[in-house]
Amino acid sequence: MAVNAVGREIPDFIEGYGKVKQYQGAFARRPEGNICGPRLRCVNGDRTDKRVSSLKEAIIASGLRSGMTISFHHHLRNGDYVVNMVVDACAELGIKDLTLFPTALFGVHKHLVEHIKSGVITRIMGSVNGPIGQLISEGGMQVPVVLRSHGGRPRAVMAGDVKIDVAFIAAPTADCYGNISGTQGPAACGSLGYAFTDAQYANCVIAVTDNLQPYPASPVSISQVYADYVVEVPSIGDPAGIVSGTTKVTRDPLRLLISKYASQLIEASPYFKDGISFQTGAGGIPLAVTAFMKKAMLAKGIKGSFGLGGITGYFVELLKEGLVGKLMDVQSFDLDAVKSIGENPNHIEISADWYANPWNAGAAVNMLDVVILGATEVDTDFNANVNTEADGALLHGTGGHQDTAAGAKLTIIAQPLLRGRIPCVTDRVYSVTTPGEVVDAIVTEYGVTINPNRKDLLDAVSAVRGLPLISMEELAARARRMAGPMDPVATSDRIIGVVEWRDGTVIDVVRQLRK
Amino acid sequence: MKTAKAGTMESMDCLVTVTEAAAGTGIKLVMDGASVARFRTAMEKKVLETVAAKDVRDLEIEIEDNGAIDIVLSARVECAIDRLGGAQ
Amino acid sequence: MLRTMLYLPGNNPNMLTRGHLFGSDGVILDLEDAVAMVEKDSARVLVSRFLEQGEFGKCEVTVRINGIDTEYWRKDLDAVVRYRRLDGIRAPKVDGPETVKVLDEELSRLEDKYGIEQGHLKLHCLLETAKGIWNAYEIAKSSPRIEAIIPGGEDLRADLKTSRSDDETELEWARRMIVFAARAAGVEPLDTVFSRVTDDEGLRKEVEFIKQLGFSGKSIIHPNQIAIIHKVFNPTEKEIANAQKILAAAREAAANGQGAVSVDGKMVDMPVVKRAEYVLVRAGLAEVK
Repeated sequence: MAVNAVGREIPDFIEGYGKVKQYQGAFARRPEGNICGPRLRCVNGDRTDKRVSSLKEAIIASGLRSGMTISFHHHLRNGDYVVNMVVDACAELGIKDLTLFPTALFGVHKHLVEHIKSGVITRIMGSVNGPIGQLISEGGMQVPVVLRSHGGRPRAVMAGDVKIDVAFIAAPTADCYGNISGTQGPAACGSLGYAFTDAQYANCVIAVTDNLQPYPASPVSISQVYADYVVEVPSIGDPAGIVSGTTKVTRDPLRLLISKYASQLIEASPYFKDGISFQTGAGGIPLAVTAFMKKAMLAKGIKGSFGLGGITGYFVELLKEGLVGKLMDVQSFDLDAVKSIGENPNHIEISADWYANPWNAGAAVNMLDVVILGATEVDTDFNANVNTEADGALLHGTGGHQDTAAGAKLTIIAQPLLRGRIPCVTDRVYSVTTPGEVVDAIVTEYGVTINPNRKDLLDAVSAVRGLPLISMEELAARARRMAGPMDPVATSDRIIGVVEWRDGTVIDVVRQLRK
Repeated sequence: MKTAKAGTMESMDCLVTVTEAAAGTGIKLVMDGASVARFRTAMEKKVLETVAAKDVRDLEIEIEDNGAIDIVLSARVECAIDRLGGAQ
Repeated sequence: MLRTMLYLPGNNPNMLTRGHLFGSDGVILDLEDAVAMVEKDSARVLVSRFLEQGEFGKCEVTVRINGIDTEYWRKDLDAVVRYRRLDGIRAPKVDGPETVKVLDEELSRLEDKYGIEQGHLKLHCLLETAKGIWNAYEIAKSSPRIEAIIPGGEDLRADLKTSRSDDETELEWARRMIVFAARAAGVEPLDTVFSRVTDDEGLRKEVEFIKQLGFSGKSIIHPNQIAIIHKVFNPTEKEIANAQKILAAAREAAANGQGAVSVDGKMVDMPVVKRAEYVLVRAGLAEVK
């Protein structure tokens, strides 16, 4: 047992996970040695078609056995069919004890609950959400779930912490030799950023497509040199669940108020000048902040250098209007983004490694000026929690939270102070995802709360008229006063979730709920 | 058994249903919804406080919560009790 | 300043908790039209609790009670008057000074009952009938409590037996009458609500018009309307600089014993100085004298 650098008591060994590398600080752990790679392949001219006739055949050909690790990307989001199809096929083939290694899971994957209960899947590494998260929180899996950020996942694979036996890559477009792209096809998803690691490091790579094109397909995201097999299926996913129509800016007054404060903070910061780079998610508040920033940029004649992360049509508009020079896209959220990445050379597809890996020669998050994030809660040390809900249930993945917070010069968490009765500011977060040392400001409807370790921001913001400044002590006291005292979450000692920091150390654990 | 309701299931509100109870039953409180997991103690305290202030000793109370803070909880319980008593 | 008064439905906990955060000059906790008949009692209790807690930032806090022709108004007043955070009462359907007298007396009785100093509570009167508009001046000067008079919208149209037109011709005279009556009596004229909440441009046009007529502010039904209205009512940087110039010149003239002075070719006499002072008040740079 040890108390780590963010004040959490973590055992030195966790059953079902292994030896713990204790979290020592956001930038403490450095790599040693070389990148771990997959097996070498050899394919000669006698094989010009990698297609097999069914998913089951592909699984058999891959040599997948019980106990192995299978991986998936999440670019088809809530419209994905592939994960469920593959696990169903494995179950039918009598394969079990699999480790599931997706980049994220969505509501559509609640279908997997039966496979978890029946032992087809006995370990999950990646985000768990909804019913799967609830099942795990209540002790439904024998080994803990391991949560990693978007940058921490490629790091883990490249450092040899995780070996992918078979990667299944849902391919909106593919050819018979395994060239893959995401911008065309009935299930087009735009960027395939999260699929690169799987293609490059798995011991066997299977492309699953519903849109086979003549060889060589182009444009190509993932080259043929990685694919071992190609399978055609009637459909890889439902477009309605993959992309939303157009993301519109919210008109909800509370969210607009918070967004206005966040935008004023950005404008007062030293980063609001020509060449500013920023990342906003697709949520109501981040999008509204972008809208306010746009007005301010137009008024001041400022142009952004790049926008980063999950890209929406709103960001595409900024690109078209010349308000931002480039978009670096790891995930395309809507139809406008999908169209843009297919047409505009200034809209660049980037992999998760490129985006956020802390152990390469420099990820995109390091070049980021501003990021606007959410959180289920933050505490008086500015630690943020995005993994668990107030009732202690493990319900959300880490996403790019840790990576962008660590990389960006100005990290803002913008949230309403209360969600119903549940406060988002507490004395101590239930579990830590992102440490306070990389969180610069919290913005709520009560104003802006600056981390005391950022004297420069505090000075910059005090001069702004109409921007309320509220200390963390005041904010926490207000939350406490409005919400009232909270009962502790009843848990057992058993650890059901391990939250890794992006460098592979364990920043916190989640324990099983006692009902 | 006479019963009355107050409140709604809108955000930050709660729906309170009170039912007459025979003398000697005491206060039977059932709570469900968004806040109960972390606020059961505080909510119970507020409800019982409000009931006591209305001088009611026997009552069945059911609360379906959607994020009501203390003053809202108290207001809805008070109104439901008033309605039970026939006041308007 | 009463540039914006935001209506908050009295039976809505979400709005009552957050309504004061959006920056309006005042809030109106509504027990009347925003509350169904069967919920009048629950709204009354809810609003009372929020007044007791008293967290409304720096807003002027008013409660719109039900009309004196209903069975609710006495209970409304009794429930809310006791709380110190309450600044005033917005009374609907005020037809003439007799209505004001009834309200004034009941308020005095309740101020006495609850140990509030006499005359503390202000009155904002809604004039929603032809009779009310006709009596506007008499109403406005009928009690020292009266702080503002407001014309009705829909109710007034119904009483005039006309319909809503795009340019609101039917309300124009009523608006002008309210301004004259209010200014003559020394109270604030506030305009009625603009209900098309997504029509930002339409709102801006209307606010420019009523500002020009002489209104001090407007009732609103949505927080998104606040910024637009404040922008119209707030003096521009140029207007502020000009006002400061005028006041500096006037001060200098007074110090030198000069009667009149000219700034930028225009004579600066008493009315000009008064207007300049009011500009600084509206800009939040000076206190009301």
